Amino acid sequence: MSQKLVLALPSKGRLMEQCADALARAGLTVSKSGAARGYKGEIAELPEVEVNFVSSSEIAHFLKVGTAHLGITGEDLVRESMRDCDQRVSFLKRCGFGHADVVVAVPMCWIDVAGMADLEEMSAIYRRRHGRPLRVATKYMNLTRRFFAQRGVTGYRIVPSLGATEGAPAADLAEIIVDITTTGATLRANGLKVLADGVILKSEANLIASKLAPWSAAADAAKAQILARLA
Amino acid sequence: MTAESARRFEALEAQAQRLLATFTRAGYEHVAPAIIQPADMFLDVVGEQLRARTYVFTDPDGDELCLRPDLTVPTCRLHLARHPAGAVAARYCYNGSAFRYQPGGDTSAHPREFRQAGIEAFADSARETADAAVLALTLEAVREAGIGPFHLRFGDLGLFRALLGAFAMPERWRRRLQHQFWRPEAFRAELNRLTSPEALRAPAVARELIGRLDPDDPAAALAEVEDYLERSGVPMFGTRTVAEIAERLLAAAADALEPPLTADTANAIERYVAVKAPARAAVGQLKQLLGSIDLSEALAAFERRLDALDAAGVSTDRAEFAAEFGRNLEYYTGFVFEIVVPQLGRQSPLAGGGRYDSLLKDVGAPVEVPAVGSSIHTERLLAVLEETAP
Repeated sequence: MSQKLVLALPSKGRLMEQCADALARAGLTVSKSGAARGYKGEIAELPEVEVNFVSSSEIAHFLKVGTAHLGITGEDLVRESMRDCDQRVSFLKRCGFGHADVVVAVPMCWIDVAGMADLEEMSAIYRRRHGRPLRVATKYMNLTRRFFAQRGVTGYRIVPSLGATEGAPAADLAEIIVDITTTGATLRANGLKVLADGVILKSEANLIASKLAPWSAAADAAKAQILARLA
Repeated sequence: MTAESARRFEALEAQAQRLLATFTRAGYEHVAPAIIQPADMFLDVVGEQLRARTYVFTDPDGDELCLRPDLTVPTCRLHLARHPAGAVAARYCYNGSAFRYQPGGDTSAHPREFRQAGIEAFADSARETADAAVLALTLEAVREAGIGPFHLRFGDLGLFRALLGAFAMPERWRRRLQHQFWRPEAFRAELNRLTSPEALRAPAVARELIGRLDPDDPAAALAEVEDYLERSGVPMFGTRTVAEIAERLLAAAADALEPPLTADTANAIERYVAVKAPARAAVGQLKQLLGSIDLSEALAAFERRLDALDAAGVSTDRAEFAAEFGRNLEYYTGFVFEIVVPQLGRQSPLAGGGRYDSLLKDVGAPVEVPAVGSSIHTERLLAVLEETAP
């Protein structure tokens, strides 16, 4: 086991570019290295750091189990992937990019539904009429369950959705969705509206530390340096 | 953890055989419903909260299946497979594994794999006697297993339904209050709303449209809502029809014209929910509390059940009635009970059960079928017996 600090960074997409920019602005030069087909990297200024390029949801998993000491990924993915979030990770710093709200959205034509309380009452009527509960399409099963339980909404079923969730109501695959949105434009284009009290989480990319990673003195020192430079 | 040693496994087996012997002697047929259940229907019935604790998986055909999180729904399905009409008298008993994800981890107090031994009695329309018989037999089984002193907790959702029925209010308000009964905060909020003329006249949605709807003319209201949606250019899609949307708006319009609940009514409902007393004394207390409100039929049923329990040798003087008991157990519709022993305390009842008259219909019966049942936490039972063994 190396004493190095393992930093997990997004391997693709806009989040990857934004991470690279943020680190460059902090004076940290990230480069890919080794034979591992671009999945490993290093930081020129910090030889004690080993970089792993993985997908955003894998970063959440790495932090959950302690395979990485630090990672940059969306708060939504971290909160979705672990129930006991506070025992496993600490959110060190908001990055100022990767903004996304996890929201509850319903068809705009439901003019009788404005908030979660309407949803609860409506769910009982829906069930009597249709003989089955309301369906909620989402990839955020855990966030949805926790939020709906807090708001006393019980008469629903989750339909797992791995992509194009906003199309589920129009395709009759679900009545409601829980998904991320930045401007709300995609939701509106699909005839959906966000419930007034339906914002589950205002998420953005965070620098996150795993409490379960094997923290060595060298890793601690490297973490302090990264934090100081990003500040 | 279930039976971490062979010795413990054998002890659970032996105990199960004793429980089942008590049940079969009383005329309950021993059945063994499937452990693997179709996820879809099962989870539609138990709700998302239990679904979050159910092990769901996909088989090679792509069908969604689950490990049963309890045995009541599988027993209902077994009954319906035999008797599609549903309303056929039957009494079943079982002992088998059930599986639940435990958010706090797999511990001996909350194992993810545990055994339930229980009974279910279907289509017996002499409800109070059937309630009493199920509780009496459950007590007989745990006593024969060797349980000493115990305490009983009763609730009665039928009584609450009758209470709401005794006050003048629209049926939809009763439905709402019944629906919120499980959630104390939401229940109080709804009660406050129904007591406040301002709140009733200020719907949170489409206020101007609601103001134009006449509750006495639903056809015109539907046309009005259709017209409103068309003019607003909102795309119409999904499984919910305009008629359903109009119905809820119409209900809000009707609420605005409805006289609010009186403070007396709201107080009576709140006082009822707060009642907690020895079961016999509770009857007198409720009569006094309700004054001129006539609940005689429901209270007579309550007393009939107590008499039937006494006749069956269950001393009801050790039973406590709590009006609010029943929260958290959403498919129950009437009498509910828990058997509590001092060794485990209130948080971990030894056994529990109650009446669930709408579950068979939810699972596919064409009509509602009277149903009452109970189940014993066999690991807890064994733990208590081993602790108290000489």
